[in-house]
Amino acid sequence: MRLVFDAEACVGHGRCYALAPELFDADDQGHCVVLVEVVDAAQADRARQAVNNCPEEAIRLDP
Amino acid sequence: MDPSAAVYPEQRAANPYLPEVAADPLPFYERLRRECPIANMEGLDEGTHIISRYEDVKFALKHPEIFSSDLVAVDIGQDRPLIPLQVDPPEHAKYRRVMDPQLGPSVIGHLEDEMRKLANELIDGFAGRGAVDFHAEFSVPYPCTVFLQLTGLPLDQLDQFLTWKDNIIRPEVDFGDIEAATRVRHETGKAMYSYFEGVIDDRLANPGDDIITRFVQAEIDGQTMSREEILDICYLFILGGLDTVTSTLDCSIAYLAQHADRQRQLADDPSLVPHAVEELLRLHTPVMQVLRVVVTEHEMHGVTMRPGDTVMVMLGSADTDVDEFGHTADDYDLQREVNRHLAFGGGPHRCLGSHLARLELKVALEELHRRLPAYAVAEGATLDYSPGIREIASLPLVFDPKAVA
Ligand code: HEM
Ligand code: SF4
Repeated sequence: MRLVFDAEACVGHGRCYALAPELFDADDQGHCVVLVEVVDAAQADRARQAVNNCPEEAIRLDP
Repeated sequence: MDPSAAVYPEQRAANPYLPEVAADPLPFYERLRRECPIANMEGLDEGTHIISRYEDVKFALKHPEIFSSDLVAVDIGQDRPLIPLQVDPPEHAKYRRVMDPQLGPSVIGHLEDEMRKLANELIDGFAGRGAVDFHAEFSVPYPCTVFLQLTGLPLDQLDQFLTWKDNIIRPEVDFGDIEAATRVRHETGKAMYSYFEGVIDDRLANPGDDIITRFVQAEIDGQTMSREEILDICYLFILGGLDTVTSTLDCSIAYLAQHADRQRQLADDPSLVPHAVEELLRLHTPVMQVLRVVVTEHEMHGVTMRPGDTVMVMLGSADTDVDEFGHTADDYDLQREVNRHLAFGGGPHRCLGSHLARLELKVALEELHRRLPAYAVAEGATLDYSPGIREIASLPLVFDPKAVA
């Protein structure tokens, strides 16, 4: 599965890297940096959690 | 009074500014969303619109070209638009580009040990008594001390800063006396500008390791900001930095004090605290609403909003909308899978202090539940919530002083 990130939509709530720091990091502005683009089944739950908690819907998990 | 009675569907109007609503806003929000998704502010002419459904609130926050933040019309004693709150994109982004890194997660993370120490000192201050006014003895001093350390402003002037922000946010005048409120705000605004003139002079002459120095030195397109720009930033900082975490702590601890099982849950498993912080922010949304002004004609639910109209964007109502949060929208649920709450706003104006605020709240809830035994609201106490930003004037708690860790 692939994490798709929309940098235009991200405003730096920081929910993603707080919930799944192994998949996301913050840049100096607090906006999201995707660390792992292709996630395996073991990582999918956490990826989904991040997706579900981003108020801007800036991250998507594609099959 | 039943808070939902402050919605008047026949007149398509509502009044969120009542203390009864601030004390218990959920029934008000629910009726507003269901019966009156776009309401006028009661008593005012057409042209003030209250937006309450999650989808609509989110839309408003994300469309500054329709719902502008350039609120020159909202007089809170300021001479010019507050930066970055009252500046629209694309201008807005250039300020956030230099301000965000100063309050980003990595910078803020370094403050954690200091916060923990401070939280414990404050708890030590009342632990032996078994009774505390939590508002006065924790909710106020804890975030304010952190904020003053961050800004390098003198701690012994805290009372002055608190008076200023209260004069602006909730001036003590007779209910509805708008003229008196405006007068207080203007006097306060003048005092604040002149005080910060001095601070800026000082930071130019004696740069320090504080955030105001970094704003003074920051460059936008190779140029430092003007004195007026720095002043407009400082003005907002006092308002944003000194009030909101206090209100969040008040609302959160008042709620937990009335739910002993939920206190125990956090004491037993501190790893739940970050989820609790988000859920408390969502359920109690301390900043009930933010304001916008219409700049492009727009229709919502059959109501036409015209340029110049004021819009109250009800964050608290969005955050408890069943259409977004499901049938458990009004419950405290630490297992919630989808929590896109908007307690810090959303879109370009997402709260600049959210990383700081979240860390302060996490550390506070961890230390309070590590050290305090079961606590409850003192018998006979009434909790007065202030409308707009839900601070509780006094929050008396009791606990067994012998059981403090
Ligand atoms: C739990 C605590 C807090 C809450 C609930 C909160 C809430 C908010 C909300 C809802 C907004 C959006 C305003 C709008 O869209 O018009 C905002 C903006 C802002 N907040 Fe906070 N805030 C908190 C803490 C802080 C702190 C601690 C600071 C400063 C250190 C701060 C500084 C700001 C600033 C500067 C803005 C303007 C951002 C912009 O317009 O780009 N806030 N806050
Ligand atoms: S949660 Fe969303 S908006 Fe926030 S940093 Fe992550 S991607 Fe960006």
